[in-house]
Amino acid sequence: MTAATVRPQPPGRTAGERVRWALHEALWGPETGSRLVVVHVGLSLLIGARIALGSYRQLAITPPALFDPVPFLGWLDRMPSAEVFVALQVVGALAALAAALRRRPRLAFAVAWICYLVLAGLRGSRGKVLHNDLLLLWASAPFLLAPTRVDTGDRTPRRRYGWPVRTSIVIIALIYWFAGYHKLRRSGPSWAYGDNMRYLSLYGPSIGASPWPGLATWVGDNIWVARAAGVFILGTELTFPVVIFVRPARVLYALAAVFLHITTWLLLGLDYWAWAITVPLVLIDWPGALAGARRRRAAARTRAAAGAGAGAAA
Amino acid sequence: MSDVAAAPAAGRGSDDRAPRGARWLVGILLVLLLVPGLIGFDAWPLTGWRLFSLARDAHQTRWVIQAVEPGGDRRVVSLEDLPLAYRHAEWPMADLPGASDARRDDVCRALLGGVRRIEPGAAALVIARDHEEIVHRDGRWVTTHDIEPFHTCRAAP
Repeated sequence: MTAATVRPQPPGRTAGERVRWALHEALWGPETGSRLVVVHVGLSLLIGARIALGSYRQLAITPPALFDPVPFLGWLDRMPSAEVFVALQVVGALAALAAALRRRPRLAFAVAWICYLVLAGLRGSRGKVLHNDLLLLWASAPFLLAPTRVDTGDRTPRRRYGWPVRTSIVIIALIYWFAGYHKLRRSGPSWAYGDNMRYLSLYGPSIGASPWPGLATWVGDNIWVARAAGVFILGTELTFPVVIFVRPARVLYALAAVFLHITTWLLLGLDYWAWAITVPLVLIDWPGALAGARRRRAAARTRAAAGAGAGAAA
Repeated sequence: MSDVAAAPAAGRGSDDRAPRGARWLVGILLVLLLVPGLIGFDAWPLTGWRLFSLARDAHQTRWVIQAVEPGGDRRVVSLEDLPLAYRHAEWPMADLPGASDARRDDVCRALLGGVRRIEPGAAALVIARDHEEIVHRDGRWVTTHDIEPFHTCRAAP
């Protein structure tokens, strides 16, 4: 049974009522318990990986003159010691692991999330606004109050399981839309079809440590590739809210986001892999897709058996 | 009434809805996401999500550092070659034009400390603006540099 099959009909016929209903369902509609648990566990593991694998303690030597704390850490006058970073990493990673193993998941997830927020905030306390960790932090924030007693064997989508996943999808969609909106607002549509992507690519290796500088030069050499890339990026960002209302579009947009962040890494060397994993984890109904694949395999086996039986009878 | 009849319909029953705390959390999150997102300001983790929003052209000006060898020769040092703690120094440097001499010297000496971790012989450091231009010349893309020194500091004797 899918969420769509249990969704009540919109109460009302006017366009306004239908829009209100669609917005309501976008946040509060039903999902299965298994989907909630898969996303919750996946986000816990991802947060744990970011905490455990991130280069944080190397920040301890940041000179005070280069320390510019983010607002919520404004009470600090310098970077904490390496021991503090390691302690935050150990506590955060263990809490994330506990959340993934469903040991006091609400408390454990909150501890991991807060450790990750502080660590990412400290990494961003060097003047530049860093977005690398922000999508994961924002997308996982609704799970701070997600239900923890979940019947994963219950295939019926329920509203009490739905809101964390659906709110997370809305947050992700808005984040991508804002990225497109500010490109339009500050640079206009020529951001996509002008020379912007050519020069962004050519300057790319100076922005970060590109693992493939040859790709940047190739994009710079081929203006139509650069323009196609610009149209793809801006188009994907501006239309991303489609995923809130059109379930079949989610796989497509998840793949587009993965492609976008992998190519960003190849061109500019920027670490957006947390975005590339978070988006498909949240957007795609993995238990539903797995169940669908099993059903299709079973149906194919049944058809094959029926075909073989008919052949033998003939 | 049988148990079946008493059970709420899937996805509808009075016990099958988001709790009040969830509604508050979602409301707060959406306000915190929408306000800076629409206005476009940053107060991390609140942000305007202005990722690469300014279109690039052939010209750009960046803040760079030059290590000065004891003989006086200068060489641009990539911030990416410095330890992690120093790699985003372009942003503190960008704030220096409106800063005091003491602040400029503090940032300069801090960066010199980072440079001396990889080039112990560096005697001084120059903070500079690099006016770059990308041109297509002889079938390939070339970046030209016009470096404008801004502030110099020397290592303590």
